[in-house]
Amino acid sequence: MDLQEFRAGLDGWLDEHGPELVPPHGPGVTLDAEMEHLSKVKRLTYEAGWMRWGWPERVGGLGGSTLMRAYLGEALASRDLIEPGIYSMTEVLAPTMIEFARPALAAEMVPRLLRGDETWCQGFSEPSTGSNLGSLACRARPDGDDWVVSGQKVWTSLAQYADRCVLLTRTGSPESGHRGITALFVDMDSPGITVRPIQAMHGRDEFCEVFFDEVRVPGDRTLGEVDGGWAVAMDLLPYERSTSLWHRGAFLRQRLEHLLASPPGEALDPADLGEAAQLAFAFHARSRATQYRMAGGERLGPETSVDKVLLATTEQAVYDLVADAAAADVALGDDPDGARWRTEFLYSRAATIYGGSAEIQRNIIARRLLDLGVDR
Amino acid sequence: MIDAETAELLAHSLRRAFEKGGAASADAALDEVGWCEALAAEGISVVPLLFAEQGAANAASGALDDLMTAMLGVPPGRGTAFVLPEFGGGVMPGSVRNGDLAVRGLGTARMAAAEHAVVVTEEHRAAVVETASLRIRPVEGIDPRLGLAKVEGAGLPAAGARATDAGWTEALAAGRLALASEAAGASRTMLRLAREHAVTRVQFGRPIGSFQAVRHRLAECLVAIEGAEAALAAAVEMADGEWPARVPPVPAAIAKALAGRHARTVARHCQQVLAGVGFTDEHDFHHHFRRVLALDGLLGDARTLTRELGAELLRTRRLPAVPPL
Ligand SMILES: Cc1cc2nc3c(=O)[nH]c(=O)nc-3n(C[C@H](O)[C@H](O)[C@H](O)COP(=O)(O)OP(=O)(O)OC[C@H]3O[C@@H](n4cnc5c(N)ncnc54)[C@H](O)[C@@H]3O)c2cc1C
Repeated sequence: MDLQEFRAGLDGWLDEHGPELVPPHGPGVTLDAEMEHLSKVKRLTYEAGWMRWGWPERVGGLGGSTLMRAYLGEALASRDLIEPGIYSMTEVLAPTMIEFARPALAAEMVPRLLRGDETWCQGFSEPSTGSNLGSLACRARPDGDDWVVSGQKVWTSLAQYADRCVLLTRTGSPESGHRGITALFVDMDSPGITVRPIQAMHGRDEFCEVFFDEVRVPGDRTLGEVDGGWAVAMDLLPYERSTSLWHRGAFLRQRLEHLLASPPGEALDPADLGEAAQLAFAFHARSRATQYRMAGGERLGPETSVDKVLLATTEQAVYDLVADAAAADVALGDDPDGARWRTEFLYSRAATIYGGSAEIQRNIIARRLLDLGVDR
Repeated sequence: MIDAETAELLAHSLRRAFEKGGAASADAALDEVGWCEALAAEGISVVPLLFAEQGAANAASGALDDLMTAMLGVPPGRGTAFVLPEFGGGVMPGSVRNGDLAVRGLGTARMAAAEHAVVVTEEHRAAVVETASLRIRPVEGIDPRLGLAKVEGAGLPAAGARATDAGWTEALAAGRLALASEAAGASRTMLRLAREHAVTRVQFGRPIGSFQAVRHRLAECLVAIEGAEAALAAAVEMADGEWPARVPPVPAAIAKALAGRHARTVARHCQQVLAGVGFTDEHDFHHHFRRVLALDGLLGDARTLTRELGAELLRTRRLPAVPPL
C-alpha cells in the first residue's frame, strides 16, 4: 500500500462511514463521551485496516510508510471526526514502546492502544518538575526483580481513563540529574496508584494528579536501559513534535475554514486573517517536510522545536482571530458553536506550555541549532 | 526538478560570481554560469537557489529581469531589462491610451545599461521598447547598492506589443518567489553576523550569547527564517516543472509576504544583538537591513499582500490550497 492508494481508499471509506463517526458536540458533552467516541473511531478504523498501516507488523501493524499515519489523523481531523489532542497521544506513546519495550511487551500492548481498547498516559511532569525534567523525584527502588515506585506526577493528561502509563522515575541518587532516570511502563490498576482529576481552565478534566504509594512494577516493564530514561524521553519528544503536530495543523485549518464559512467570519479583519492564513500555510509546509523526513527513516531531533514554535504561534493566531471575530460567541454563546469556540480558544492558550514550553523550545533552538553553547 | 548535485554546483558558481560585486560583473557572471539556460532547462526550481545566494551576498544583478522576461515568453538576456511595478505595488507598469504607451515603474540595476526594456501593460500585453526612449533616473534611496531606477515614459509606440504567453499574474508570481528567496538569503546572512557576534563578544565576563535574552532573539530569527523558507519551498513545489512555469499566484504571494515580514523581524533582533557595532556604517549589517526593506517593496509589499490575501479569503470563504501530503 502506498500513500496514494491509502488516501483514495481511506477517503472513500470515510465518505461512506463518516456519518457513524461524527462526535458529539455541545456544552452538555462530557469528556467521558468524548473518550468513548475516540475509542469507537480507533476501533472502526483499526478493524477496517486504516489504523494499522504505517505501524510495524511486529506490533500488529500492516507496515508501510508512516505518511499513512500522518494522513489518517489529517483526514479524520479535516472532517472534524476527532480532536487531535486526545487522538494523537498514540503518535507519542506507541513509537516509544516500539523502540524501548521488550519486543513481546510491545507486541502485546501496542495493538490495544491502536484499536482503542486502551488509553495510555504520559507521566513526566511533577509538582516541582516542569520544564526541568531532569530534576524529577518520583522514586523507583529495585526490590528483587521488581521496582517499587513512590512519588507524585501532575498534569498527566487522561490519567483517569488510562490503563497504562509511560512513567519517568528517579532510580539514581537525587543529584544524578538526567543520568539517574528510568522509564517504566506501568499498569494504572496497580495497587497504590491514586488518580485525582484536575479541572482545567477550559472546562474539561483534561489532566490529573497521580500518586504512587509503594507501587510494585515488574522489572520487565522497564523501557530502555536502567538509568537510561533520559534517552527514552528525548526520543519521545520529537515524535510529539512531528505527526501529532501535523494532525493538529489539519485540525486548525479545518476550524479556520469553519470560521470563514460561518456568520462570524464576516467580521474577520482581512489583515489579521491574511496573516493567520500565511502562518498556517508556513506551518503546513514545514510539518509536511518533517513528515517526509520521518518517513524516510531520518532520526528526528532538535529541529522539530521549530515545528513546535510555528504550530503554537499559528494556533494562538487562529484563536486570537476567533476571539476577535466571534467575540460575543466566545464570551457569551451558550449554543454548541459558541461553547465550542470558547473551549477551544481557552485550550489554545496551552499551546505554548505543554510538550515543552515556548521558552524551552527557544532554549533548544539556541543551543542545538544555533550552537550558542550552554546557557547560564 | 533540479538534482542536488547540480544545485550545489550552481550555488557554488553563483556564490563566486556574486563575490566579485557590481551589477555589471554580476550580470557577466550570470552569463558565465548560464543562468538563462538553467532557467529554461530546470524551470522554477533554480529560482530559490540563485536568489538566495544573491540575497546572502548582498549582490545586485539583472536575474529578476531575466526571470520575468522569460516568464512572458520574451527572450531574456543582458541587453533586456524589465520594468517592475512602482514601489509597494503589483500593478502592471504600462498603459495604452489612443495607441500611445505610457510607462511608470521601477528598474533594477540592469536598466541603465540595457538597450531594451519589457513593459507589461494593463491589457496583459508585453511591449519591448528602447531604453533610450525612457526617462531613467537612478534612485539611491534606502539601498543604494541595489541600484534601483525610476522609469517613466510617455507617447511610446505600442504597436509591437503582443499578448504575453504566460500571463502577468504568473510572471508576477515567479518574481515574488525570487524576491522571497532573496530576502530569506539576506535574513540568513543577518543571522550569521549576529550569531558570530554573540559567540565572540564578551560582557560581564562571558559571551553575550550565554544571555538568554540574546539567545531567544536569535532563536526567534531562525524560526522566522525557517518558516518563510518552508512556505517558499512549498510554493515552488506547487509550480509545475514546465517552462515557462505555471506558478500558482496565491502561494507565491504568501511566500513573499512571509519573507518580507519575517526579514524585518530578523533585522530587528539581529540589530539589537549587534548593538553599537551593528549601527556603524563599517559593519555589513546595515547593507542587509537596507536590502530587505527595499526588496519588500518590489512586486507587492508584505502589508499589501497580507491584506489582499485576507480579502480574497473572505470572498471565497476558503483557505488557500496547500500541497497535499
Ligand atoms: C494541557 C496540558 C496538558 C499536559 N499534559 C501533560 C502530560 O500528559 N504529561 C506530562 O508529564 N505533563 C503534561 N503537561 C505538563 C507540561 O509538560 C508542563 O506544564 C510544562 O512542561 C511546563 O512545566 P510547568 O508547568 O511546571 O512550568 P515551569 O517549568 O515551572 O515554567 C514556568 C515558566 O517558566 C519558564 N521557564 C522554565 N524554565 C525555563 C528556562 N530554563 N528558561 C526560560 N524559561 C523557563 C517556562 O517557559 C514557563 O513560562 C501538560 C500541560 C498542559 C498545560
